[in-house]
Amino acid sequence: MSHTRKARARAIQGGAAIEDIAASIDSCLLCGSCEPACPEGIGIKAMNIKQRRMLNMSRAGYPSWYPKIERTTAGANGRPLSRTIILLAGEHLRSDSEMISSVLEILGGNKKAALAEDDGRDIAAALEAGLPVTQDRIDNFIKPLSRARTLVVSEGLLHRPLMKWLPDSKVIGAGEALLSSASVRKTLGSEDLYVIESRSYHSDYKRLVGFYDRLRKETGCRMNLDLQRIAIPTGASSLQAKEDIEAAGCLEQAAWILKGRSVRRIVVEDLADREVFRRVTDVPVIHVGQLSQDN
Amino acid sequence: MNIPFIEKGFIPSDPVAPDSLKGVPRLQTNPSRWQGDNWKDFVQDLRSAGIDVLENRSDCSVFVTDAGGLAYGLPHGIVRPDSAHDVSGVLKAAQTHGVPVTTRGGGLTTEGESVAFGGLLLDMSSMNRVLKINPGTMTVRTEAGIFWHQLAEVLRREGLDYLSAPLNLTASVGGTLGVGGIDVNSPRLGCSADQAVALQVVTPTGEIVECSEHENPEIMERVLLGYGQFGVITEATLKIRKFTPITIRYFYYSSLRIAIEDLQFIAENDASDYSGILTILDRAITLLVAFDSDERETRFNSCWKRRLRGHGEAGFGLHMAGYYILHPWRFQEAAYIAGRRFKLFPEFSRTEFMRDSRIIDRTVVFSQAVWKFWGGPQMVIPDLSSNAEKFAEAVERGNAVCRKYFRYYTLYCVGIKLRGRLPRYEMSCIPPDANGIAYGCEFEPMLRDTHYSRDYLQSFKNEIYDIGVNMGLSYYRFGGMMKGYVRRVFGDELVDKHLAMKRAADPAMILNAEVIF
Repeated sequence: MSHTRKARARAIQGGAAIEDIAASIDSCLLCGSCEPACPEGIGIKAMNIKQRRMLNMSRAGYPSWYPKIERTTAGANGRPLSRTIILLAGEHLRSDSEMISSVLEILGGNKKAALAEDDGRDIAAALEAGLPVTQDRIDNFIKPLSRARTLVVSEGLLHRPLMKWLPDSKVIGAGEALLSSASVRKTLGSEDLYVIESRSYHSDYKRLVGFYDRLRKETGCRMNLDLQRIAIPTGASSLQAKEDIEAAGCLEQAAWILKGRSVRRIVVEDLADREVFRRVTDVPVIHVGQLSQDN
Repeated sequence: MNIPFIEKGFIPSDPVAPDSLKGVPRLQTNPSRWQGDNWKDFVQDLRSAGIDVLENRSDCSVFVTDAGGLAYGLPHGIVRPDSAHDVSGVLKAAQTHGVPVTTRGGGLTTEGESVAFGGLLLDMSSMNRVLKINPGTMTVRTEAGIFWHQLAEVLRREGLDYLSAPLNLTASVGGTLGVGGIDVNSPRLGCSADQAVALQVVTPTGEIVECSEHENPEIMERVLLGYGQFGVITEATLKIRKFTPITIRYFYYSSLRIAIEDLQFIAENDASDYSGILTILDRAITLLVAFDSDERETRFNSCWKRRLRGHGEAGFGLHMAGYYILHPWRFQEAAYIAGRRFKLFPEFSRTEFMRDSRIIDRTVVFSQAVWKFWGGPQMVIPDLSSNAEKFAEAVERGNAVCRKYFRYYTLYCVGIKLRGRLPRYEMSCIPPDANGIAYGCEFEPMLRDTHYSRDYLQSFKNEIYDIGVNMGLSYYRFGGMMKGYVRRVFGDELVDKHLAMKRAADPAMILNAEVIF
């Protein structure tokens, strides 16, 4: 039985050990959609991560989808990058050099924007799994970013930590950054389904719900929002999905997002979603960074 | 102390009979826990039939209480059925072994009705699929464990909507049909139970029966508004309609009675598509009216609006300012009202839920506001339901009780259109003397920053319920811990009639046995 956060609290109050609810704790994809829906305003995502940490201390072995932490050393002792915008591309975007060039161009070109060599994916993975991250590693990670005014971060799980570590920098997702360009926005239309990356969206929900509402009004595009204006996640960027996209429920979620909708094109913010939607529909699926090329 | 002499061999009348403690607060307690004599055999039977029973403490603890948070109990085990056949298997075995079965949907009961005090808990939320949407007949067939919000999500993809549902995101369809289901459009469309066209029901003895007003109507009439006594609803066919964004208007009052009279005027004249009263204490009373179409709103403006006695917001603000200038010692109350108004009202016009000055969509906007501003970790919402004539007095008396117990509270009043005198209304939330439209009021203290004892909250509820007994009303919630009121308010004859029907339908008295009888 998969428990909600409240149900887990009740189970523990009722005498259950943390191991008894391990399946429930492990099944959370940390999309963050529970937080804006919570009438009490409870920071549920952080509580889930905390429970994962507690669970790690008591269980004999980690689940197979846990990360094999390989520290990214590229940023170690790196100097601060002297650009106003720094892109932390994340695993999927990083592997597509053509797309990286295109995204950097939209963000202002090489004079204004730079790609961070260390995108902190190991930190994100450790946070997701509830594994420890040393202060040295955090310091090395943020040092090259410290002069940037804007951090464009693909990995939604890093948004809140970066807001805390670098309070003077603006932290936004790749989708928001690219859609700030009018030339990108004008290529979106009413026959598009725009798939918001749920982790970054829910990390800054109060602000972003307005941003995407304005986008909808301007372009007429449809979005993966439910009636509460919560972004229905596919979970494609989760550690579980990296091991098995189907077992993590990503395909089922994508099918639900598409149910009853007739769209000509799907535009995703998270490159991991491209693969998911391509497996459930014949409709063309592109990344938001490809919008200007696609029109 | 004067203890009367009792002759040997003479048994006097019961000194603790239901009506023997007049004037003494009747503090209800949880039922005793079922002792589980036949539990193991029961579970063995279920497992051999392929029905999974969860017995871990971690699973059982999830269901330890309900939204009311006053009743606590643990089941021996849980079944999350996949089908009506699973439910049938459970009930047949329960009859054989005499194991109590408690059904639960969203767990939004407030008196422990969905809390199992031992025995088996049937968690119906596992049966949550929408089976068929039929735009031709404008109906939807759904499994009954689905939450109304999930149903709305599915219907909205087709541009459709249900008729009326509780203003709560996690109430289940089956649970709602069993008690009523009140929406702000109930003055026009009736309660949720009245939108059911057909049901699949598993009777307490395990038969799977399809019923409607034409097929097995006697079961249909017993199960709807039946508090889960006469069967488990596993599927429901509900009326649906086209989805429409709504416009909303507010009228402000400082008199409860005048606001209630205007609410009744609107309901009786079918002047709006939605109407209800929400209050901040009894000082700031808001009558909201809303419309599905411009035509209805135009007609309201031309025919009915000028006959309402409420103020606009600016006028009411001035009126309130004048009142509190003359009553400066009530500064804290004024601050509370102002603070609540500025927090609450923007919730009804958040830009992401507005399109061209219309709300999309009310299911979420109203429900979120209810959760945020009326709900909370513990829902204490005793209520009264009344015919039109007695309603204003009932609310005023209930309001006086709220004033006595709590510093801050809110009232929510709404009408419920009736479909004549259907058998389902007997011994239900619909008062026996209501004609045309019944009215209900919830009395909800704001508990957020203060902790009250269970006895205190229970005493408050009892005083509200005593008004019902005194005035011959009914209640939306009268089961569970409040079942001591069932005989007092409905009378022995009617309760005995229903008890006899229950015994005939449920020989071992296993299905939701602690809820009503």
